Amino acid sequence: MQGALVTFGDWLQHRSFALDVATSDWAYPFVQATHFTGLSLWVGTTVATDLSLMGLGNQYQSPFQLFNALFVWNWVGFCIAVFGGFLLFSASAATYVINPAFLTKLGFLIPVALILHIVIQTKMRVWGQQLQTPRVARVAGLVELLFWISVVTAAVSIPYFA
Amino acid sequence: MLTQIGEALQNNSVIVMLNSTGWMAAGLEIIHYFSMFVLVGSIAIVDLRVMGLAGNQQSATKLAQRLFPWMWTALALNFLSGFVMFAGIAASYIPDSTFHLKMWVILAAVVFGVIVQWRVPVWDKLPSMPVAARLLAAVSLLLWVGAILAGNELPALSGLG
Repeated sequence: MQGALVTFGDWLQHRSFALDVATSDWAYPFVQATHFTGLSLWVGTTVATDLSLMGLGNQYQSPFQLFNALFVWNWVGFCIAVFGGFLLFSASAATYVINPAFLTKLGFLIPVALILHIVIQTKMRVWGQQLQTPRVARVAGLVELLFWISVVTAAVSIPYFA
Repeated sequence: MLTQIGEALQNNSVIVMLNSTGWMAAGLEIIHYFSMFVLVGSIAIVDLRVMGLAGNQQSATKLAQRLFPWMWTALALNFLSGFVMFAGIAASYIPDSTFHLKMWVILAAVVFGVIVQWRVPVWDKLPSMPVAARLLAAVSLLLWVGAILAGNELPALSGLG
């Protein structure tokens, strides 16, 4: 399994676009900034919704109203983050695929957090109508918030395992 | 003078401990990145709302009132964690022109953020968002993206960070 991943990583990082990102002085910071801008939209809107589900700052609008305002940009941010993240990954894919922190981030934390995110979004119409959210919504918001903090923790840990 | 302050900062025992203990240094990075995402994400949504590109069916004032507390909390966490990381190698950061650029862009972005926060309730009472408001919000958004880019250019151009 690991051999196949390394072979794939090696193939990917020798594609011309991956070589461009890895070898240009300017491309890498620009791609990283793209990834971080997407993450800002994704994490910023997700955290605001989670805090709202936890009952914080609901004096101005219901969690569902906030969710409605943020929904489109939440997923636009996700797409930008995935695009930038894939390019960053491709620049040194063979080393990423054997990094335990990266594997934890992409193989466990992000899929679980994404499933929870989608469950929360499908439940928002029920959970988010009242300013006082139900207990299950508060727990779901807190758990999702902790998951995204864990994703950032795993991402920050990647260089420590390189 | 500034270099001496930088050297004094980076030799401070608390700063040395925070930056040289593995889990503390990692913790600072986690706080810095996570708070940056919350900060830029919150202000970006308000800017996009003023520009007419997000949550148009809702009051811009209510959306801003909802998001600005998270923005300011995130800015405080981002500043504190960033300062401790800066202090760890302050003498190298202080003369670096890319670092100066990053600080100026962040300062300008914060000033524009304050102006947007201050003016949103006024703009919101008008029949439609004035062109000047939309331009101001667009500049604010670009400055925050620029701040992220300047932060990423630091290691690439100066080997710092």
